[in-house]
Amino acid sequence: MRKGVVFLPLLQGEEELIRKSVDKALRKHEATRENLIPILLQVQEALGYLPGLAMEQIAAALKMPAVEVYGLATFYNQFRLHPPGKHQVKVCMGTACYMVGGRIALECFERRLGIKEGETTPDREFSLERVACVGCCTMAPVVVVDEHVEGKVTPTRVDGILLSFGKAIASGAEAAGKKGEGAS
Amino acid sequence: MRGNAAAVQERYLKLKAGADARVKALYSEPVIRVGTATCGIAAGALPVKEAFARAVEEKGLPAKVIEVGCMGHCYAEPLAIISRPGFPSLCYGYLDAELAARLVEDFLINDDPCYEFALVALEPNDVFPTFSDFPRGVYEQKIVLEHCGFIDPGDIDHYIARGGYGALAAALGKNPAEVLEAVKASHLRGRGGAGFPAGLKWEAAVKAGSGEKYVICNADEGDPGAFMDRGILESCPHQVIEGMLLCAYAVGAEKGYFYIRAEYPLAVERVRRALEQAREKGLLGKDILGSDFSCELEIFQGSGAFVCGEATALVRSMEGKMGIPATRPPRLAEAGYRGRPTVLNNVKTFAYVPPILNRGVEWFRSIGTEDNPGTAVFSLVGKVAHTGLVEVPMGTTLRQLIYDVGEGLANGKAFKAVQIGGPSGGCLPESALDIPIDFDSLQEAGAIMGSGGLVVLDEDDCMVAIARYFLEFTQQESCGKCTFCRLGTKHMLDILTRITEGRGEPQDLEILEELAEEVRAGSLCNLGATAPNPVLTTLRYFRDEYEAHIFEKRCPALMCKELIVYYIEPQRCSKLCNVCVGSCPVEAIYTREDGLKAIDQEKCVKCDNCLKTCPPDYNAVIKLSPPGLLAEKEGKRP
Amino acid sequence: MSKAVTIFIDGREISAFEGEKLLWVALRNGIYIPNLCAIRGKKRPSGSCRLCYVQVEGRSEPVTSCTLPVKEGLSVQTRSPRVDRLVRSAFELLLSHHRLDCRSCAKRKSCELLKLAKERGLKMRLSRLAPLEHEWPVDDSAETFVFDRSRCVLCGRCVWICREVARVGALGFSRRGIRRVVTTFQDVSMAQSRCTECGLCVEACPSGALYFKEGKQPAAAGQNLSRGG
Repeated sequence: MRKGVVFLPLLQGEEELIRKSVDKALRKHEATRENLIPILLQVQEALGYLPGLAMEQIAAALKMPAVEVYGLATFYNQFRLHPPGKHQVKVCMGTACYMVGGRIALECFERRLGIKEGETTPDREFSLERVACVGCCTMAPVVVVDEHVEGKVTPTRVDGILLSFGKAIASGAEAAGKKGEGAS
Repeated sequence: MRGNAAAVQERYLKLKAGADARVKALYSEPVIRVGTATCGIAAGALPVKEAFARAVEEKGLPAKVIEVGCMGHCYAEPLAIISRPGFPSLCYGYLDAELAARLVEDFLINDDPCYEFALVALEPNDVFPTFSDFPRGVYEQKIVLEHCGFIDPGDIDHYIARGGYGALAAALGKNPAEVLEAVKASHLRGRGGAGFPAGLKWEAAVKAGSGEKYVICNADEGDPGAFMDRGILESCPHQVIEGMLLCAYAVGAEKGYFYIRAEYPLAVERVRRALEQAREKGLLGKDILGSDFSCELEIFQGSGAFVCGEATALVRSMEGKMGIPATRPPRLAEAGYRGRPTVLNNVKTFAYVPPILNRGVEWFRSIGTEDNPGTAVFSLVGKVAHTGLVEVPMGTTLRQLIYDVGEGLANGKAFKAVQIGGPSGGCLPESALDIPIDFDSLQEAGAIMGSGGLVVLDEDDCMVAIARYFLEFTQQESCGKCTFCRLGTKHMLDILTRITEGRGEPQDLEILEELAEEVRAGSLCNLGATAPNPVLTTLRYFRDEYEAHIFEKRCPALMCKELIVYYIEPQRCSKLCNVCVGSCPVEAIYTREDGLKAIDQEKCVKCDNCLKTCPPDYNAVIKLSPPGLLAEKEGKRP
Repeated sequence: MSKAVTIFIDGREISAFEGEKLLWVALRNGIYIPNLCAIRGKKRPSGSCRLCYVQVEGRSEPVTSCTLPVKEGLSVQTRSPRVDRLVRSAFELLLSHHRLDCRSCAKRKSCELLKLAKERGLKMRLSRLAPLEHEWPVDDSAETFVFDRSRCVLCGRCVWICREVARVGALGFSRRGIRRVVTTFQDVSMAQSRCTECGLCVEACPSGALYFKEGKQPAAAGQNLSRGG
């Protein structure tokens, strides 16, 4: 019945972890509707994403339907509903970046990682997404890798970035097959 | 009138004296200020800062290395300013670790300021030019950016020593109505985009009666290609805090929020730190400076939705809901956050308030034009030589801004258009360059001031692709609530996509124009109502490009992938060079029997790598449009 | 209570209470104004369907009547060339994302889209727009009703009634932009959701997105709470 979002089964021990993160967030923020976004952000920071169980627990604490929490989590760009890769690659699609090759950089990552934007490599090493302007337009095209801003990202630089994370660079066709090889 | 005006002033002067002494002591020895706003960090400012610190330590110098924000000269990042008693303060650009170490040795030990690497001196002197000796310095007048890049945003004393919080201290000795009156009289127009007079907005909140009220600073800067608000918050957060406190005092609010988008972690961190320091100094919180005015400011982190820049959507997201614009009435000034009167202004709008109160309404109104007093802050980006954050008086022409302040186009390319106002704005052609920059003139030309993003486009930029890009942006950022924005922009985007892919039909332009007009008139909020602007302006000024795509299946700027092919000119290619072969990510380039290179069109993904890497001596890789030209070229193969 | 005022709709003199929204005054007086998202019990009108435009005397651009508070002497026309153009455009936009297969639609007798088309002389087909794709399969997991999102016009009546009247909270909006959709928590099927099959949402739905399976219409049904008093 689902479309788009694929919810992975929880790992062993993850349920406990989720419960702890939610409790922690609810200790820091009063359980009111106004604090819903800060609570979700904090839980996501701890877990890397928003598992369904966490959304249900938060909804129960705030005495609101879980579907409304789900609505919020799917509305805002910041929230992710699936576990991210170990390294998160975000390609800026601001005007300045787009004009000087942001799309080209994105396509290079897609080719090298063998995934499309919004996806995570099967080995969970890398996830790739596009972001709206990160405000470093003079360095365009810009890519943010794990909070680190990389400027002037040409296709050659894409390879450089991936190599620095120990990603073996193969030609496009092979990349998908060699996933995870030599990953740090 | 508050009775303890004298006591407030005395307390402020004590703070000021302490700050003055600390800053003076700092500058009695050499100081190296490294620009570490996000743009600086992206350009490598942190290793440069470390190199400075290491060199200073190794040589055992008493010099201090501190972090400052963004000076606005982003093209030359990483930047640093070196001040040494006995010398003018000198600004150096394009730094790296090696140069940093050399500057410490040559300037701070051997008395050689290395003028060959200096960009500009801060103070007038006999040896090196200052800002006012360059065209940019002549046109620029800094009010909002006055302190940006010169002070440590992490140290409140740097702001206080420059007179910071003086306007607040003085205002607390006056009646709140006097502050409101001054802002009204200044004719300050909100810098969020539409230019609504800030004084009137504040007055509406005053008239809404007493009781709980809120002040919100909109720092949800989401326009692609704009970073003024980020620059200001990262470089001089206290000026915005002071402006918000003045607003809170004027309208009778005791609580305020910074709504900062989550994509700006450094801005969040610096504002948080600034708020802590202001609280410690008694400039924020209960009984500010010993007066009976109390105000608390907090940060609310946006979670990534462009539409939250819209006032009602922003407030809804603060209330823990989807950021979806609400119908009006009521206005925010009557029933905003938590249903209470709320004043919501842009970062820059608040930043103007302390200087206006310090230097007076007359001074402010003497800058800019009659109906648009003050300055305009732009992030100047795109194909312009000197990108950066610039601030010029309203009424400056676009030509002056691009050619004098921005030093013209980069790489000797020909100017094509300037995009102003982001996804809500428009693309103006060469013929519009002499219009003055102000809210009304830009709107008349089909663009809008917006929050101040300015992207220069050159001959290599396809105007249909640009229009499509912006529409794709609005489409992705549309909240989806109302019919026109959700579905109207989607159909417009589909049509534009068809055109850029060479599948445009003759009637498409007419449908596009009809839809644009209907989406403009029918949308619920301004995100939707202004979404067609990029399409309407490009249709108005660059219709020939649309027609070339539709009727000739040709992209004049050689940008639309489906309408171009890459080709290696055999007469320019060299047998001795293999760069393109190595650069191709999909092995589409092969060596012909005669040793020259050629592209297998079946494999080519049009990544542009070969064109970029082909040595300038050859420049053998070219693009052709329409793709049909390829057969012609190949027919002529020698 | 608010004071009584006299207003004019299409020249007809009508008494109303100050501050009431024009749409409700018109409908009460038997004057049709197209609408889908208007819910009487809702404090702040949604204003999302953009169909209820009217021309106010003295204003150049049409305004939505669901957000227009009436005051003494207000004079509006329910039709004008500009109003008609906006309504026609909004209607075609909605149709472009609505499965147009009226003959097989269970709601064809009570469909408010068909009513609108009839009242305003609009066609139930696309003249200049290409139909948009539908992503969602039909959900017939519930025992009594079917949820077909390809016929949903996102008016929000079902979401409101599920939350505010039925107090169940099974349905909600999710995502944004063109992907905005009425759905359940984590998009599970209706049968897996917390839906109690009270049927209120089905009655509230103006189109064929929610309809009862044959013979499953509850006996108590018949009053449409989102539209009534």
